[in-house]
Amino acid sequence: MQPTQAIHAENLVKVFNGKIRAVDDVSFDVRPGEIFGFLGPNGAGKTTTVSMLSAGLRPTQGRAVVDGLEVGKEPEAVKRRIGVIFQESTADGDLTGRENIQVAAGCYGMPRAEGRKRADELVERMQIADAADRLAKTYSGGMRRRLELAVGLVHDPKILFLDEPTLGLDPQGRNGFWGFIQQLRKEEGLTVFVTTHYLDEADTMCDRLAIIDHGKIVATGSPNELKDRLGGDIVTIKTTAGAPDVTNVLSTLIGVHTVQKQDGSYRVKCANGEPFVPLAVEACDKAGAGVTGVTVKRPSLDEVFLEFTGREFRDEDAPTATDRAVMVQRVQNRFGGRR
Amino acid sequence: MLRELASLTRREFLKLGRNPQAIFTALLLPLLYLLLFGQGFNINPTEFGDFTAAQKVAILAAYFRGAPNYYSYFAAGMVGFVAVTATLFIGANVIFDKLFGIFKRVRGTPAPSAAVFGSRLIAGSAQPIALAFFVLGLALLFKHIPGLTGLEVTASVGVLGALEILAAILLLSVMFATLFLTFGILIENPQMYFAAVNLLNLPVLLTSDALYPWGAMPHWLQNVSQYNPVSLAVNVLRETLFGSSVYPYGPGIYLLGLFAWAAVLIGIALVLVRRALRPLD
Repeated sequence: MQPTQAIHAENLVKVFNGKIRAVDDVSFDVRPGEIFGFLGPNGAGKTTTVSMLSAGLRPTQGRAVVDGLEVGKEPEAVKRRIGVIFQESTADGDLTGRENIQVAAGCYGMPRAEGRKRADELVERMQIADAADRLAKTYSGGMRRRLELAVGLVHDPKILFLDEPTLGLDPQGRNGFWGFIQQLRKEEGLTVFVTTHYLDEADTMCDRLAIIDHGKIVATGSPNELKDRLGGDIVTIKTTAGAPDVTNVLSTLIGVHTVQKQDGSYRVKCANGEPFVPLAVEACDKAGAGVTGVTVKRPSLDEVFLEFTGREFRDEDAPTATDRAVMVQRVQNRFGGRR
Repeated sequence: MLRELASLTRREFLKLGRNPQAIFTALLLPLLYLLLFGQGFNINPTEFGDFTAAQKVAILAAYFRGAPNYYSYFAAGMVGFVAVTATLFIGANVIFDKLFGIFKRVRGTPAPSAAVFGSRLIAGSAQPIALAFFVLGLALLFKHIPGLTGLEVTASVGVLGALEILAAILLLSVMFATLFLTFGILIENPQMYFAAVNLLNLPVLLTSDALYPWGAMPHWLQNVSQYNPVSLAVNVLRETLFGSSVYPYGPGIYLLGLFAWAAVLIGIALVLVRRALRPLD
């Protein structure tokens, strides 16, 4: 019998060194066959959560059930049912693409002949057949990612964990990668759990999302549901320097849900932004506050993040994804010849 | 378990085969030692005086423990020397695999820890074993090259002797490969790894009688070296190649001592590795 939830996380907590609370009481469910996104800035706890769900890290508290198996009790069985694509490149540069897949097949206990057959299938499917007998260190970033996807799929998993899978890829590479994921989901009904800090990916590729910040989930829902929770459009009104406060004036206008004053401008949530603009400008003028700029935005996930966390979606102290990609590249360049 | 072990072992050998520089360097070190160091130090103390045949035997026995000259004594020592030094990189490879995410990927599969460890141990031990026999072969070959001194075998080496030599090399290589592999699994950065390895490797080699003429060593060093695992392995080789008359024990006792060392060190290493490679940690 198929479990009702592909992934069930219940009050997961991970504390490192007794003080760093990387994941703080996280609970969510992922339905079979859906693409579930874990969206958050660097250092939010995404990778730690993936590690706990994929039997790579023991939670400090809480439990995780993956495909009906308790991760803490049956880690090996869980590993047989999931595929994991790690954030960093894990292809073995000194092996060919085909050999990488064959070695992975062996790690799942597949006989050598079966591993060879599976490698042949996967290099065709991931469109790296022409380069399959080249060393993986000669692959482009996009090809390496496709090879890693092939390695993650070698044992025909039911659930795929993707940890920042498109990190460091150019737009073409990102589109190509997501094309494969969508195809896999459509053809094989794979459940996909993906972490990302790319808002556009989360918006367009995921059926549902959890937004995580400082180790806590702050919102869960489909991208549209999350945006709808904002209650309409966001109108930002900038007034002249020294103008009187018009928060109350704006709040009384028709269709306005909330008004927040931020750095000399007003962030107004209203049902419909465009007809609201002339009314707002007129009201500000009457109150003696000259309007110097107005923007109307349809809600985006960036706005959703701001709404639920009170700050912009950006990385704070942690190095950016690009910084880390550059660091990894530097290490690979430095030690590449010694592997 | 066997399929996982076979697959990961194949990976290790594929990688080794694709790294001709490493193979060249591994061969170069013993070649230089045999061609330069051994030849350069190849003194024969019986040539410094007018000794009787009996005195010459006694001098050689005291200095080179029955070997006919320093080179032959040294060549047997070099076998033990390379059986240790060729294992040094085994742990470094683990650290590099950790840095490049490869180790993490393998640990993400259900492959048992024993297969992860065993595959590296097999590949890591195969190299020093092969290298030890390369040294033996090369030293024997030098005897036939004009102008060079080579290894002179003065005892008759039977099947048992050959097996004793094989067992000594095997035990020594596996023991140090296990130890350095454990270091690689426990340590996270290459600098710290090489510091730890040198901290162990140099004292072990320099307190053995692999390279020093026995008769030239101070008594305290002779006493220390008796218990050194490299000396134990080298004693097995020297007794088998040059005769056992000057040794207090037969090769079997030295093999037993070596086995005891291996059992203790491998036991400690496996406890540490099991903890480090626990699933879900």
